[in-house]
Amino acid sequence: MAIARISHLSYWYPGATEPALRDVSLLIDAGLTVVSGPSGGGKSTLLRVLNGLVPHFHGGRIAGAAEVEGQDVVSTPTRRLARTVGFVFQDPELQTVYDVVDREVAFGLENIALPPREMAARVEEALHAAGIDHLAGRSVRTLSGGERQRVALASALAMRPRLVVLDEPTSQLDPEGASMVLDAVRSLVEHGRAAVIAEHRVERLLTHARASVMVEHGSVSAAWPVPGAHAIPSVPSHSGPVAWSLAGVSAGFGGRIVLDSIDAVGHQGEVVALSGPNGGGKTTLLRLIAGALSPVSGKIERRPGRIAYLPQNPTALLHRPTLRSEVSLTLERAGESDPPETILSELGLLAVAGRYPRDLSCGERQRAALAAVLPGRPGLVLLDEPTRGMDAEARTALVALVSRLRDRGSAIVLATHDSELRSALADRVLLVSAGNVVESESRSVPA
Amino acid sequence: MALRGGNRPVSGSSASGEGVATPVNARAVAAWSAACLFVVLFTTNPAYKALVLAAAIASLAAGAGLHRMRGLLTGVVLIAAFATLLNFISAHLGATVLFELPASIPAVGGPYTLEALAAGLSGGLTVGAAIVAAAPFSLMLASHDVMDALPAVLSRTGAAIAASLNLVPSVSASFVQVSEAQRLRGWRPRGPRSWAEVIVPVVLTSVESSIQLAESIEARGFGSGPRTALKSSPLGSSEWLLVAASAAAVITFVAAHVAGWAADWYPYPALAAPQVDVVSIAACLFLFAPVVIWRSRA
Repeated sequence: MAIARISHLSYWYPGATEPALRDVSLLIDAGLTVVSGPSGGGKSTLLRVLNGLVPHFHGGRIAGAAEVEGQDVVSTPTRRLARTVGFVFQDPELQTVYDVVDREVAFGLENIALPPREMAARVEEALHAAGIDHLAGRSVRTLSGGERQRVALASALAMRPRLVVLDEPTSQLDPEGASMVLDAVRSLVEHGRAAVIAEHRVERLLTHARASVMVEHGSVSAAWPVPGAHAIPSVPSHSGPVAWSLAGVSAGFGGRIVLDSIDAVGHQGEVVALSGPNGGGKTTLLRLIAGALSPVSGKIERRPGRIAYLPQNPTALLHRPTLRSEVSLTLERAGESDPPETILSELGLLAVAGRYPRDLSCGERQRAALAAVLPGRPGLVLLDEPTRGMDAEARTALVALVSRLRDRGSAIVLATHDSELRSALADRVLLVSAGNVVESESRSVPA
Repeated sequence: MALRGGNRPVSGSSASGEGVATPVNARAVAAWSAACLFVVLFTTNPAYKALVLAAAIASLAAGAGLHRMRGLLTGVVLIAAFATLLNFISAHLGATVLFELPASIPAVGGPYTLEALAAGLSGGLTVGAAIVAAAPFSLMLASHDVMDALPAVLSRTGAAIAASLNLVPSVSASFVQVSEAQRLRGWRPRGPRSWAEVIVPVVLTSVESSIQLAESIEARGFGSGPRTALKSSPLGSSEWLLVAASAAAVITFVAAHVAGWAADWYPYPALAAPQVDVVSIAACLFLFAPVVIWRSRA
């Protein structure tokens, strides 16, 4: 018997004229169901139907029927469905209540007033199922992103849900953290649980998937094999004179040296990729090159010209009423006359140019932030984890855009864990680790 | 695998993320802090305020360790100095004039008196003692310890507050990131209105973060009804002792005041030394109880 059943369901967000989901019918059985599709297609909305966040939390209008374990989603509040459906969100930092792991895992159990003597056993069971027994009692703040996301998974499992739903749980994580989470999901399925996961990096899960569905323009269709797992084409380059250089540069914060006496150089028309573990100093190096951080010692030189800097979580920059005005703002400040439509078209955003950027889907917002930072002719382009949370289409658009900027003579530095992006774009790879920077022989060096 | 039992092992270590504080019970801490605050706000006598401040510093040192108090003490000294200075330059009252600025200078002109300085010092003592007395909540307790100590009727409110406090670090990180990125995008701070380009994105991001957090806790059954807690916070014998000492301090001090022994103090019009009384001092000495109780646990 199906665990969840959605029948001819359509859903409109408050104030929307177009439905986010159109006449969706879907059965979800035990095992793993993979949900894929382009950004903005309706994946997150579909997942939120399963635990009632749509429509109970988000409001709006709904038509059709949906039930999970015989409970009508439309009439059952999310807080009641929480006993049946566990949910893991994208950002591990925005789903934490307590500051100690076992307390955090118990939060849902406390909410349903489980007797304390039963709670401890449930917490142990959930930590074990998520493979994080060793984290009990640890402060959440000391955990890596992958560990935090597995704590979120354990928190969902503690409720002993019939169905676990994961909405792009690895999109904010580095490769190591993503592996941790996907291994835990795979283990769950192997132990007979039902799970639905929306995920861009689905290759590792495919052999364990019972079903795969594609969500596009609000409609759902069966999809085998899962799309979007194609390689990004590589683009050759021709580098020119020196654009930036660091000589004997040391930098750090609060007396702690993060980069110690490093030398590095980049050229016009060249893409330099920064690779290395989290906390190794990649972002610090980018900020030094940008001039946002002053070195403790050493010399930094860069050719005059505009700097385009894409920080981590770039969507935080967006604040103008429309995406077009967001791009125009950057162009006006740079004194450049390119029409904003050029970059919007390049990134596949023309259709949403008149919309408020923060109303866009996660992947569209990521592209919107790229459009806001990279229009015109920047001399130096600095990108910090630009593909985090991006779908395959957006990644391909990014590669084309960066290639064009490089061919126009921009010097590009990108810090990334994304080995495909490095292979497609990088002329050189610098390994940044433990305060040192060394040149890698290979573009496909692991992050 | 075994979970850490009881409410104690995880308490202090997670309160600040560094070092290990003495494990304490939030209800007992609340009783002691309330007693300190009561005495320091009830009396105007700086001798008793100073005693409360001494009790608070000694207790905190015993529980949290002096090295973790450095930042707090620096802040307390600065705030107390500011309070003292503010009174000194704004209250031109008292008989003992130290120096005088021309009355034509707005706000600060007039006589500067020893009495105003003494009154300022007394105010500084009040502020300092109040801050240090409340400091165990941040230096020795984690947010869940405080939540566990709340009565059931406030449990949901406590959970919501604890969740929202988790957003504070991300807001400050967001501010740094956005202002830096906007600078590189051509923004320059030119007057208050220009800051909108930094403040607006930070506020919007914070609002979005809080919505995501709300969505997350709703999906985990928050608001279903009455809550339970994984770990309760029962009072042990030493915690009862601390509660009793705190109650004794308040009762004794009030009794001494009613009897007229715990005299108040007013520096104006002419400065006089504050009167002290043995019973009132004894009441304040009860507030040193944590020094013994918390040190014995450390």
